[in-house]
Amino acid sequence: MNEAENKMTEAESLKLINEMIGKAKRSYITTGAASIVWGILIIFCSLLTWYQFYTNHFFDFDVWLLVFLAVIPQIYFSIKEKQKKKFVSHDERTMTYLWTTFGICIFVLSFYNSKFGSNEHSSTSLFMLMYGIPTFITGGVFKFKPMIFGGLICWVLSIASMYTDIAVDMLFMAACGLFAWLIPGIILWRRYKKQQTC
Amino acid sequence: MFKELDPILHSQLRLAVISLLISVKEAEFTFLKEKTNATAGNLSVQINKLKDAGYIDVTKQFSNNYPQTICKITGRGVDAFEEYVKALQSYMNPNGK
Repeated sequence: MNEAENKMTEAESLKLINEMIGKAKRSYITTGAASIVWGILIIFCSLLTWYQFYTNHFFDFDVWLLVFLAVIPQIYFSIKEKQKKKFVSHDERTMTYLWTTFGICIFVLSFYNSKFGSNEHSSTSLFMLMYGIPTFITGGVFKFKPMIFGGLICWVLSIASMYTDIAVDMLFMAACGLFAWLIPGIILWRRYKKQQTC
Repeated sequence: MFKELDPILHSQLRLAVISLLISVKEAEFTFLKEKTNATAGNLSVQINKLKDAGYIDVTKQFSNNYPQTICKITGRGVDAFEEYVKALQSYMNPNGK
């Protein structure tokens, strides 16, 4: 861009402003890696739990503890992304607080379940209800429809799970992982790769 | 009567920089260079003009042993940008319709 001092018309100025704001918005692309990892883990744990109920053969350890392991790759990917990023968006702080809140709530709910031995049937509905919250908000803030739909699917399945048995609930949980995180994550990853090659 | 266009902003590269910075919280020099397709030297000069006008803050730091220049729009810069856009709109639509 050459410095054509004060030679722009008003229309050219407005066009330039729109063009630059558009360029900045199109730069808000994440790798989607954290979303993919989280999605795979939820699907894996849900299907494994479903298998235990289906075969009536229960493992000696709680497979859902693996979810807490997801924190490690999440931190790794966010540090990696931060190092690569050349700008900080206005919404980043909000998103950090939102997903941290989600993580804390999931932890507290899990702790509550383990301490008071709540009815697992109702807690799966609560987990799916919570999965929908950050997913729907993130989708809405970034105008990313796959996550908006993912959040809505979590809520629909949360309601549906109130009428099904625990084994079916686990299949619903796997569907939440698929629609709320894995599919949107893969879409983000493909967009990111496409942008890298451009 | 038409509002006078801010001469600091009514320049292609400076306007491009401010438009990018209004869209993000802060950005590296390399991001601005990449998006505006400007040369490093020219961009540096224009960034300094914006900084001198108090429209942006420039912070120089080191990241992984590499120098890094971070630019951020100031409150004064946001006000100036909004005034500039209003002035442009008054030129484009003089009857205010």
